Amino acid sequence: MSTPSLLDRCRQALDIARARGARQAEIAAESTRRVTATISKHDLQIAQTQRETTFGVRVFDEHRLGFACTNNPSNVDSIVGDALTIAAASPPDDHSVLPQPSDAPQLEGLYDEAAASFPTGDVVKQAIRMLEVATAVDPRVILGDADFVATVSERALVNTEGVEREEQSSVFTYFALATAREGELVSNFDFQFDASRSVAGIDVEPTTKRACENALGSLGAKPGETFKGPIILSPGATLFVLVSFLGFQADGMNVFRGMSRWGDQVGKRVASERLSLIDDGTAPGGVATSAFDREGVPHRRLTVIENGTLTNLFHNTYSAHALGATSTGHAGGSPRTIPSVGATNVEILPGGVPKDELIREISKGLLVTRFSGNTNPVTGDFSGVAKGAFLIRDGKIERPVAGTLIAGNAFEALMSISGLSEERERVFNFTLPYVRLEDVSVTAG
Amino acid sequence: MLDLLSALAREANSWVELRYHARRSRLIRMRNGRMEESSSAEVIGVGVRVLVDGVFGFASTTDTTREGISKSIADAQDAARTAAGSKKKRIEKLAPIPATTGAFGFDLADPLTDHSLEEKLDLVQRIERRVAGADPRIVSAAASYAELIDEKAIATSDGVAVRLLQSRPEFRTMATAQENGEQTLGMDSVGVQGGWSDMLSKRDPEEMADHTVKLALDQLQAPFPEGETATVILDPGLVGVLAHEAIGHTVEADLVLGGAITMGKIGQSVASPLVTLCDSGVSEHLPHAVGTLPVDDEGVAATRTVLIDQGVLRSYLHDRESAAHFGVEPTGNARAWEYSDQPLIRMRNTYVDQGETALEEMIGGVKHGYYLKSLGMSGQADSNAEFMFGVREAWRIVDGKKGEFLRGVTISGNAFDVLKSVDAVGNDFTWEYGAGACGKGQPAKADLGGPHIRCRITIGGRQQ
Repeated sequence: MSTPSLLDRCRQALDIARARGARQAEIAAESTRRVTATISKHDLQIAQTQRETTFGVRVFDEHRLGFACTNNPSNVDSIVGDALTIAAASPPDDHSVLPQPSDAPQLEGLYDEAAASFPTGDVVKQAIRMLEVATAVDPRVILGDADFVATVSERALVNTEGVEREEQSSVFTYFALATAREGELVSNFDFQFDASRSVAGIDVEPTTKRACENALGSLGAKPGETFKGPIILSPGATLFVLVSFLGFQADGMNVFRGMSRWGDQVGKRVASERLSLIDDGTAPGGVATSAFDREGVPHRRLTVIENGTLTNLFHNTYSAHALGATSTGHAGGSPRTIPSVGATNVEILPGGVPKDELIREISKGLLVTRFSGNTNPVTGDFSGVAKGAFLIRDGKIERPVAGTLIAGNAFEALMSISGLSEERERVFNFTLPYVRLEDVSVTAG
Repeated sequence: MLDLLSALAREANSWVELRYHARRSRLIRMRNGRMEESSSAEVIGVGVRVLVDGVFGFASTTDTTREGISKSIADAQDAARTAAGSKKKRIEKLAPIPATTGAFGFDLADPLTDHSLEEKLDLVQRIERRVAGADPRIVSAAASYAELIDEKAIATSDGVAVRLLQSRPEFRTMATAQENGEQTLGMDSVGVQGGWSDMLSKRDPEEMADHTVKLALDQLQAPFPEGETATVILDPGLVGVLAHEAIGHTVEADLVLGGAITMGKIGQSVASPLVTLCDSGVSEHLPHAVGTLPVDDEGVAATRTVLIDQGVLRSYLHDRESAAHFGVEPTGNARAWEYSDQPLIRMRNTYVDQGETALEEMIGGVKHGYYLKSLGMSGQADSNAEFMFGVREAWRIVDGKKGEFLRGVTISGNAFDVLKSVDAVGNDFTWEYGAGACGKGQPAKADLGGPHIRCRITIGGRQQ
């Protein structure tokens, strides 16, 4: 007897939910096999394997929400009961609805057959390759933390409205965090990330090299200067200062919750005309690429900001219903959680100017390669330490600087973008250029 | 389950550590009158760690039968053997430990499971409505209840055989206030290791709601501080944050070996002689600290570790691997978040020990300074002990009296420099962060606390 598919198991669970009186129910499942090799302190630390299948059951009883999940497939019947019990006790909410069926695109390149049989030994070899690359860059470099992870997964989702989805995928991710040390001098760390959907596409060298070279470049940093002026954020720093904030503001749930200022800004200018930002869950090769979201709604390409104008918000079915919009296919999360609103593959379009040109136009400024601090997602106020930072003088990088504080407001910073580089880098599921901002407070530490 | 794990551990042909972990959790969150989440979750499985040829291998499985666990032992051994050929520094040995046995935590009073879903729901709804209705300037209100109930069985091939039950409820409130286009945020939280009434008796939810509202509203009117280095009094919350984030991480032995600032400093003076700083699996001074553990996930008794004794650095935090490396006893700090996580060196309850000065006396001795309370929205600290934390509540101190309320205050500096500047340690004590979790690749429930302390610190002002 063959093992039932994940989709069949979801259908069975849905039948149980119906039999117990659930009029609206959704069963989501994900089965994952993961092999990880970890580097710590420039040596192989551990190899590990993990297999897990999780089922999440969401029910609406007259718009009353109940959710339960388990990683024990033989216990799905019982959690259907838990979800129904929770729903019966919950207050009703008109916006608690399930999505209707629609056509999802068939995406190519999500799953590589070769990934299913990728051996643990090869995962370890890739981690060792990262160590070799780091050693070759410079003997002063230490790969403090790094890992290579091979993941093969299968997702399935069904609901009582007739949505049925399933998908297989594979992804190899590699993360490198490097520091450099020379005598008593220790650099700040730098980290880089990349991923491949296929065995053939794996290349850990550029990622590892970039982390090592950035760490090496910041060796010998000394206190900087205090001024108000232009700064250039690396793709990684751009993510933490601006893009996470922007994701919060454009999140339909946050608009509904009254925590975003962008609810009435669609169609209006929220950023410099230079900025265009898109989200595309169908992008070939993307880390977050898949045909459908956490609720089974098809992913699509969504322009969020076009030449500085806010064109769309991110919605799942709940936030769309609450705000009179349509789901954009941005239900995020796993079967372990109630669907949230989440971005997929985000990119800021390149600016057509080489990074060096952005630097050349600055008489005095700061290049920030890592930001250790916070942007308050509600107020937009950001402050933190520029960990990898270089003083720019007369159009050239003069020297690395340490302990420099940067502070400002992200709403204002978006408006003050004065340049975007042609070069872009992938930071997790974000593809971002170098971004130049004007009038930022820079304080020597 | 423990008998099965012990039998498999005895039969294994390498060192093995088998950890069954069943986690049952619940989350209820209301915001603006709507139920955002009401959910339950179970995550159950066995984590298997082996040591083969001087290399750890790890595998996890949700198949908790003899066959399933045996297969995972084989998988972990294969992974270790594969890695062994490439590892430079082999693990020569693990620190020996007594073969701890027994069952811990099963005598919990007023367990969470004795309280109905309706009762928990009612608490969340009632408090959320109280926050929402408190003032027309409150534009967003939220309250949430979360619980984690962990049952574990741990067996190792060197004779550990323990069972644990841990129960951790927490409750949070949040308010957003708005006036003249400006938004401010107020929040509060409580979390304990214990039963339902332990949580409710630590903080009164109604009082938390009122405090949350007041905090959001007070900030609407409050001015920002000017930047300066000043004498400040830190409340037990910030003392705990400093002890945990800026000092505690720098003494985790894995980070020490990775080059943290405390490397080679055991026996050296690193703080004012008034400062004694500890990390403990016991809930010292007051009960129900959330990081309390009888034994860690390696089966090591999790007792008190004095990290800084009257200003002198005395110890790092260890697991069995790092303890063997340093030639010391393990400190019971190996912790894993779920069955599928390998144990890492993590803090438990980190605190500064009580001193002798009354708070009024401390404030009375400040001509110009600040009284600072609780961690705000932001917090960052590095392994060189440099930190920057947002402060949730701040007041000026002028001529020995607490005065004007301020907002947008940040503090920064090097934590050891701050501890060297301590000139008074309070005779009070509170555990403050039971609802928080520490992140180090995986979360861990850890508590932080202490008395009030007086020290010098850099205050960040708003950039004009």
